[in-house]
Amino acid sequence: MSLKGGGLERKSKASDQIPSSSLADIAFLLLIFFMVTTVFRTEADRPIEWPEAEATQQIDETRDNIMYIWVERDGDIWINDRLVAMDQVADLVAPRWVESGRRLRISLRADAEAPYRYIDAVQREIQRAGAIYVVFATDLERRMQRERR
Amino acid sequence: MAILKKQSKVSDEIPSASMADIAFLLLIFFLVTTVFPKDRGLPIVLPEEQEEVEISQRNILHININPDGSVGVRRGDSQNESFHRPHQIQQVWRQEVAQNPNLIAGVRTHPDAPHRFMIQVLDALQMANAERISLQMGEG
Repeated sequence: MSLKGGGLERKSKASDQIPSSSLADIAFLLLIFFMVTTVFRTEADRPIEWPEAEATQQIDETRDNIMYIWVERDGDIWINDRLVAMDQVADLVAPRWVESGRRLRISLRADAEAPYRYIDAVQREIQRAGAIYVVFATDLERRMQRERR
Repeated sequence: MAILKKQSKVSDEIPSASMADIAFLLLIFFLVTTVFPKDRGLPIVLPEEQEEVEISQRNILHININPDGSVGVRRGDSQNESFHRPHQIQQVWRQEVAQNPNLIAGVRTHPDAPHRFMIQVLDALQMANAERISLQMGEG
């Protein structure tokens, strides 16, 4: 009994080259993915130390309905790349709250070391503007880090 | 003089050999400029202005955050305050809520306490599935 099929040797037809005909398709697929997901930066990040929390979750609201309020360590408030006085915060939040149809989420990006008095003052301003949904921006904390602490 | 007829060599097709190069160029551009949004955090719903509800002291768990990061926990109807680290609040809350399901967490943070400690306590409460949380500022 011959295993070679009656003495006929089959020639390998597999090419030793990487198929390149679908390269353009792959490139376009990736291109479209990045084109769709890209969001161009609208405002610059302030240099803050992010607090960490294990229960961190994604904000389930569109980007248009999220407003960022930065609170720096020394109590400076930044909204839309501008330094804002504490008593002006409500005047900036109120129109956005109405515009969003009472869906506005406020992402409060406060420095981990900022004294709580500033956070409380910002919360009062948000309440004065009528908005109620606040998200304390945090970085996800891994359990491993916590156990080491 | 011989007349040489020039044959047109211009193709009537769009050249497709450089298509992949163009696609890759654009791809790299978008790869570099993409910023994935970092819209994450701990959500909380603030009470509306002038919406104050009187709550029986029996149903409040006072959680006082001090500037040094120690957290004092006191039941509304008791005078005894016990001190914990922020991440231990998760355990404390689970024990307390097992005894009283209507419990409300009254988190009172000292004005000089860093934001970090309030986040750690809020994190612990949210990890323990606490839903009724009130955030206040203590007296300085």
